Amino acid sequence: MNGILFLGMFLCLLIPIYEAWKADDIWQKMLAFASIQTKTSIMVLVVSVFRDDWMIGVVGVLILSVGNAALMLLANVVKRLNQVSERGFYG
Amino acid sequence: MVEFLSYFCMVVGLVFWFWGTWPLLGPRSVLFKLHTLSVADILGSIAIVFGLLLKIPKELPLLLLALLSLAIWNTILGYVLAYCARRSINQ
Repeated sequence: MNGILFLGMFLCLLIPIYEAWKADDIWQKMLAFASIQTKTSIMVLVVSVFRDDWMIGVVGVLILSVGNAALMLLANVVKRLNQVSERGFYG
Repeated sequence: MVEFLSYFCMVVGLVFWFWGTWPLLGPRSVLFKLHTLSVADILGSIAIVFGLLLKIPKELPLLLLALLSLAIWNTILGYVLAYCARRSINQ
């Protein structure tokens, strides 16, 4: 059961990875990266609970909180670059 | 009973993940994708973490931190991404 569950999560993770590889628009890429970040951190938490290992779980929670903050900062930087550049960076 | 409930929560979370991630491949606008993805990601991840919490209640502080981080940070990230993408589209 655990294996099937983990396989399902992995298959679900492949969709945003494909989207991040395929998309040209920077916001679609950011969206896909945000999704990858949430999904990987939840997978790390699942692995930590199944293995009963606190240390892996702490890493998962750190990815969850710090990754979100980093993506917010990155979104603001990209927006500012779009404003500064006349032609617009990344389309 | 608790074991069954925990697996049920995790499967529901996985269904939410697939449901919200699938439109990412479609031709819809960024804001539509952002909405479905953030709602489904947050709800699905909360369901999965709740399932883990039922499985091993010993790791309550860590999983509670993950739940709070998901509910607050991910929602704010959704708003920030929508705000940045909207300004970029208007230009």
